[in-house]
Amino acid sequence: MRTSLNELKQIEDHLLRLSPPEDTLLFEAKMILDTNLRGNVLLQQRTYSLVQQYGRKQLKAEIEAVHQQLFSDTTHRTFVDKILSLFKK
Amino acid sequence: MEALMISGNTKATREALFIALYQKAFPAAAKYISKMGGSFDEAKDIFQDALVIYYEKAVNNQIAIHVNEKAYLLGITKNLWLQKYREDRSNVPFDSADIDTAVEDANEPAVEKLLYYLETAGQKCMNILKAFYYDNLPVKKLADLFGYTSIHSATVQKYKCLEKVRDTVKQKSLTYEDFLK
Repeated sequence: MRTSLNELKQIEDHLLRLSPPEDTLLFEAKMILDTNLRGNVLLQQRTYSLVQQYGRKQLKAEIEAVHQQLFSDTTHRTFVDKILSLFKK
Repeated sequence: MEALMISGNTKATREALFIALYQKAFPAAAKYISKMGGSFDEAKDIFQDALVIYYEKAVNNQIAIHVNEKAYLLGITKNLWLQKYREDRSNVPFDSADIDTAVEDANEPAVEKLLYYLETAGQKCMNILKAFYYDNLPVKKLADLFGYTSIHSATVQKYKCLEKVRDTVKQKSLTYEDFLK
């Protein structure tokens, strides 16, 4: 892999706590000395968090699609009636 | 949830799983919410959040594989309802230290903007990264799913995507100032 990708992997191993303790120490020392690396670590952390939010959004859309399917498809009539009857005043 | 482990976590298996979970657990969850005075829409929202929590825990191996799904989902539903009830009653949520179960939406405008940009401009990469980091798919599955011939090329592609998105985050955070506070 090219150097920049290796750095991404190192940051990932550090952030996801996949590296052995001796590597962690060395990496933390590097971070103190290298402001550029420190910035990249922060950005990468933000990236994982965005990917989580993206994943969650997609999952919610998939679940909503299932809901629509269940509540509009006549084959699930008994199920739907059972649920709706719970909310009748 | 075992189906995901056996036949692989794809959109189709997730759909089948959520249909099954809905049928198995939604009646009991809706009954509870209705008994507590909640509406159909509230029952729906809370149950869907419970499914998200359940899914995230399951793919990260935080749930025993033979757990009673119905009881588990009902438990999360009750917790989410009580949490919502507490928050609605007092506007000062000081006692919500156990908020880690809540499914927060990305409601910061800068994050929303960035997500929207990434969804439109870099969807393929986002889907690869999502499959790996969110759905927790092994690289072998990732390679099969996205048509890479080897684990190595799928791994390299994953890092390339990570780099691409990270660069976008960098570039956009200069524009959307409140993103990197």
